[in-house]
Amino acid sequence: MPTLILKFKENELNNYRLEKGKSLTIGRLESNDIIIENLAVSGMHAKVDSLGDSFLLTDLKSKNGSFVNQQMITAHYLKGGDVITIGKHSLVFGYDENETPPDNDAVADDDMNQTMIMDTVQHKAMLAKAEEKKQTETSVLSFLTGGEGEVELSRKLMKIGKDPSCDVVVGGFMVGKTSATISKRPNGYYLSYVAGMSKPKVNDKVVKESVELKDFDIIEIGTGKMQFVQKG
Amino acid sequence: MIIIESAGITDIGQNRKGNEDNFFVDDGMMLYMVADGMGGHQAGEVASELIVDNIRDYMIRFNESMEVEDPLDFLTRDANRLFASITFANHEVYQVSKSKDSLAGMGTTLSAVYCSDKTMIAANVGDSPIYLVHDGKIELLSETHTIMAEQIALGQEGSGLMGDKFKHMLTRAIGVGEDVKPYICEFQIFKGDTLIICSDGLSNKVLPEEINSVIKMERPEKACKILVDMANERGGEDNITVVVLRVKKVFGNNRVMKLLYKLIKAVWPHPVKLSRQ
Repeated sequence: MPTLILKFKENELNNYRLEKGKSLTIGRLESNDIIIENLAVSGMHAKVDSLGDSFLLTDLKSKNGSFVNQQMITAHYLKGGDVITIGKHSLVFGYDENETPPDNDAVADDDMNQTMIMDTVQHKAMLAKAEEKKQTETSVLSFLTGGEGEVELSRKLMKIGKDPSCDVVVGGFMVGKTSATISKRPNGYYLSYVAGMSKPKVNDKVVKESVELKDFDIIEIGTGKMQFVQKG
Repeated sequence: MIIIESAGITDIGQNRKGNEDNFFVDDGMMLYMVADGMGGHQAGEVASELIVDNIRDYMIRFNESMEVEDPLDFLTRDANRLFASITFANHEVYQVSKSKDSLAGMGTTLSAVYCSDKTMIAANVGDSPIYLVHDGKIELLSETHTIMAEQIALGQEGSGLMGDKFKHMLTRAIGVGEDVKPYICEFQIFKGDTLIICSDGLSNKVLPEEINSVIKMERPEKACKILVDMANERGGEDNITVVVLRVKKVFGNNRVMKLLYKLIKAVWPHPVKLSRQ
């Protein structure tokens, strides 16, 4: 029969075996089968019922709600690998290695400490959501002087300089063909100086190497003055 | 033009029977890679070696005048070249995995750094991190393609509670499908900047800040050894691979220096390559 492992952060606190035909209650009061002593947990918070071969988690109209894999639920059929979050504690629902879960949707629980690849419909949908979020996050350079309109920072590396091949073309004395680049990195946008006697400035400070761009920073390169605006 | 001092080590660790990691270091090509293979019966080893060899061969064959077919418009020419080499090599690995039953389902991560004369390009598939140390600060340049990391990126609350089993579950890998989409990051580098590419055998054991402090103190070769020792002392459950490259010099448009450097390279072409089992 499957088990529920009670965890707080990374620490395992307790282990509860589920029985066919038996119900378990979860809450702060001592009358519960699984007691979580935390003010964020309601007296009678949730219960797990055995229904046929499956187990059903039901939230008992708790004040702070019950979550399964980060989704708020009122009732949920538990699958191997599900993580129930109640307050700051979590309960991991899992089947034994030699046990076959009742439905095919259940996540296989064996060999999980090996590196492996996941490929499910649900995950594809999640990735699509992530991509969508990224797409809307393209930041822009908005010209204040020396140009017009907005330039979307749609490329991984945007070149700014005198050369016509640059993504953002600016004029000015002693400005480099490619004066600076703006690079999109996992944690933000960075402006780096590349070449030319006249160096770029961010918020009136000369950039000698590279600097992370923050929302509404003012960038000056030659005759061009623009503002960095984060979108998303 | 950029001059780089580099080193790389792969180590079997304390628990594993084989080493499924592979790496590649070449200061002449300015190409650096780490691959962490997966799949039983030595298949992981095959996958990680195949990807590294295929990317190297693609980058050698691809001469300066050639252009990538269907380049992506959000990448520069050199980044497109690296991108194409990875998608091409992925295809090769996938074909091999289908050709033999014993190799079915093999896969590998790949993290690569390629230096063109103007910029540095970092590309990755999977969870082998690429770090940049600039001005004393360490920063992750790769995207972590695991369920947990993506949940956190999506801002899902309580992602940290998901437990260990999701830590190693990859959402992208080389050799498991016809196509793969590497994450690419292009950036400017400066004298003294250091890049570290490693397998999770290191990053699960040694924190970025600890890597940073080792990098600050030691030259690449010594730093690699110290980092591998640290991971082994802390259990070394997985294979451990580290590649460290330090930017020694960045020439602007100094033609004389470029020529001089090319001459030296012609006389002394040996890249630094270390291997320890």
